[in-house]
Amino acid sequence: MPQTTLTLGGMAGQGLVTVSDLLLKLLARAGYRLLATQDYMSRVRGGHNFIQICIDADPVFAPQPAADILAALDRRSMDEHLRELTAGGIVLHDSDHTPPTVNGVRFAGVPMNRFANEAGNPVYANAVALGAIAALLEIGMAGVDALLREHFGKKGNEAVEKNIAAAQAGHRHIARYYAETTRPLQPVKQKTRMLINGAQAIGLGMMAGGLRFVSAYPMSPSTSIFNYVTANAAELGILSEQAEDEIAAVNMALGASAAGVRTAVTTSGGGLDLMAEGISLAGIAETPVVIANIMRPGPATGLPTRTGQEDLDLALNIGHGEFPRFVFAPGTAEEAFYTAIHAMNLADKYQVPVFLLGDQQLVDSYVTLDRFNAARVRFKNYLADPAKLPDPYKRYSLTPNGVSPRLPYGTPGARVMYDSHLHEEDGHITEDPGIVRAMVEKRFRKLKGMAKEPGAPTWYGAKKPLITLACWGTAYGAAREAVDALNGAGIKAGMAHFNRLAPFPSGEARALLAKKETLHTVEGNFTGQLARLLARETGIRTGVPVTRYDGRPITARFIIDRLKEVHGNGKFKRVSL
Amino acid sequence: MENSNAFRYEGEKAWCPGCGDFAILSSVEKALTRAGKKPEEVLTVSGIGQAAKLPHYLKTNGFNGLHGRALPPAFGAKTANHRLTVIVTSGDGDVYGEGGNHFIHAIRRNTEMTLIVHNNQVYGLTKGQASPTSDKGMKTKLQPDGVILTPFNPLAVAIALGAPFVARSFSKEIDLTAELIGQAMECGGFALIDVLQPCVSFNKVNTYQWYQQRAYRLGPEHDPADRMKALAKAFEWDEKIPLGVIYKNPRPGYVATVIGDAKPLVERDVDMEKIKGLMARLY
Ligand SMILES: Cc1ncc(C[n+]2csc(CCOP(=O)(O)OP(=O)(O)O)c2C)c(N)n1
Ligand code: SF4
Repeated sequence: MPQTTLTLGGMAGQGLVTVSDLLLKLLARAGYRLLATQDYMSRVRGGHNFIQICIDADPVFAPQPAADILAALDRRSMDEHLRELTAGGIVLHDSDHTPPTVNGVRFAGVPMNRFANEAGNPVYANAVALGAIAALLEIGMAGVDALLREHFGKKGNEAVEKNIAAAQAGHRHIARYYAETTRPLQPVKQKTRMLINGAQAIGLGMMAGGLRFVSAYPMSPSTSIFNYVTANAAELGILSEQAEDEIAAVNMALGASAAGVRTAVTTSGGGLDLMAEGISLAGIAETPVVIANIMRPGPATGLPTRTGQEDLDLALNIGHGEFPRFVFAPGTAEEAFYTAIHAMNLADKYQVPVFLLGDQQLVDSYVTLDRFNAARVRFKNYLADPAKLPDPYKRYSLTPNGVSPRLPYGTPGARVMYDSHLHEEDGHITEDPGIVRAMVEKRFRKLKGMAKEPGAPTWYGAKKPLITLACWGTAYGAAREAVDALNGAGIKAGMAHFNRLAPFPSGEARALLAKKETLHTVEGNFTGQLARLLARETGIRTGVPVTRYDGRPITARFIIDRLKEVHGNGKFKRVSL
Repeated sequence: MENSNAFRYEGEKAWCPGCGDFAILSSVEKALTRAGKKPEEVLTVSGIGQAAKLPHYLKTNGFNGLHGRALPPAFGAKTANHRLTVIVTSGDGDVYGEGGNHFIHAIRRNTEMTLIVHNNQVYGLTKGQASPTSDKGMKTKLQPDGVILTPFNPLAVAIALGAPFVARSFSKEIDLTAELIGQAMECGGFALIDVLQPCVSFNKVNTYQWYQQRAYRLGPEHDPADRMKALAKAFEWDEKIPLGVIYKNPRPGYVATVIGDAKPLVERDVDMEKIKGLMARLY
């Protein structure tokens, strides 16, 4: 569990984002490891939004069920999150809002609006809150001062000075009246780390993996990846196009891919549904493309701004007909970066569609990380050398490993034909059963090489566990924390995390999970999609899956509570969370 | 060298004898040969339908994708390697029906490419259902009482959207079609050529004779730069159907605007120093 967990709540449009961005930067620069999870309602103004920031000296993997500090920018945030405070927790609130009396909770009222008005404008209330939060954590004004200068510098001197004055007022007020109510952070070594969210990690990975062309149609929560890549497209020599719909987006990418560049599309469930036929085309035309599908709960519009893991079955099966594919689901932002590079490379190497499954929790959460290791990034060009190929060129030549040498359009002397029908080696339509068979078999020969690529499940926890968890994607963090808590209480526990779901690493899965007595999958869906996949691919039967399907991130406490329900409270009594 | 045809495909073509598609194919070969293109410099893209088989019957690079989805991959390929000459050749059902949304936005996007629509006013490959351009009253198995929907007017839509080059031809007029394709490839943006194409198997209304009786060539008195006059020509149909360049509205294309003189995407390399630069900014 992290040293300190802070929940910051407010209305949409109230400047919550500014306060949280600045606070995260302040903490990151002070050297802390952070995990900041956002909870947004699907509206642009009003409503209730909050961000939870977990602060520690070591990496934090999962959001927490309770907070030590609640910074409420509005009345509703105070009312809604009061019961989530840990014993001795602190509530920072505007003194205009009279707090209720709650046992074991300490209140720190700051006249945020009054101070803001004194600084010249109600908008400075955010700066007041920032100063007050820093003071509650016993962080001095110097860092806040520097940050505000940097952030508001562009807006001119007046904005800078007034924000600083407001922040100072908030800081001073806490120091003067609530010196006993603070919760100082343990000092850590300062280190230059990135403050990065999952969207940036995926976008950065795609770019490091040679992305040249991205097309998408906006859809939460995938848009932030598209935004990040687009913001840097000109500098990196990438073409980014907002398509008229998802069908256009994926088909555009396939055309660019046929012309020889690395391509990706970003979308979310409903958009992925629309891409189905295009993905099937990528399958038969053997056109590389990376599809980043960022999950939110469905069906249909579902919960647009919330998190879930409901699209595993979809990614495994989308597109009519049969064709090989990769499906990846990284567990953390760091893993997402390397997985995105891997996805770009593998799409090109095997000429198949590659799915990268993320979710709202992954793309919207900020973490502090060391810079990614550029030396670990391998870029290989898999396009063929025309000089080494027989004449005439055949786009779909039958090869032992199933991969046909690929030339881009425009190669002198070569006619490059991509086709959506069953086709001959040169891409010409055919209905000849012999050629059809040979082509289907050629495509599936790729699976042998694909299965040997990195992607084995990872193990964490005790060697010979009594309780074993299996998960995929971002359930990793909560499962890992649950395993730590169980082991801490003397109940031996371990977990397997699946980053690659297709081709499924059956051998490795059996080796890790076959003889485990109490085995549960942990998943953000109702039906237990990994549990079914495991049964189908390995014959391994799992117990009742631990499933969360209310749009909120899975936490370690959620997992332990479910385990108690299933197995009885007895041996879990000692597990404290 | 007008008579040597580097684009000719010698294999079998799965079109009905007498189908207007053969003549359109000849026009494409002619235009490319006249323009002095090499097969490897040209990409032909199509969706699905009888017309959409054309890339298989032409020696150029090809992308025969999905029904209705010819225009998006053409955009992707053109922007990935803008040195390619891109021709999209597909049916009226494909481009105006299933892919109608892409048609609208391709004109807005104005990418440098030539769209040739084989407009036979019927679904050929799926055996004779109404298409978006079927005339009112046409009876089919699915429209037993005759088509009641108002026909889609592709030329008027393209003109309204400000397409740089809008033309109409008739498949029998092989030279005119070739001439229009030649001009379209030079227009510097998105060009639409709607080619009236008799479907001898399924369209018993709009036959060779039907088109022949109505089609006439626009003379020099038509000013294609005049949008309102062009619109008026786009609406001429029942009695007389104009052929030739209906509308011209030169404006910078997508590639010229977005990529300019820069290297084609396909020739660009990954720069890890720039990736490191992005990481340094995340602090
Ligand atoms: C998604 C999808 N829906 C339906 C079809 C069936 N289909 C193939 S071609 C076609 C219509 C072809 O009409 P048109 O584009 O006018 O071309 P023509 O055959 O007349 O040249 C249809 C409906 C398909 N291939 N894909
Ligand atoms: S069905 Fe019509 S459009 Fe198709 S090949 Fe025959 S004549 Fe041509």
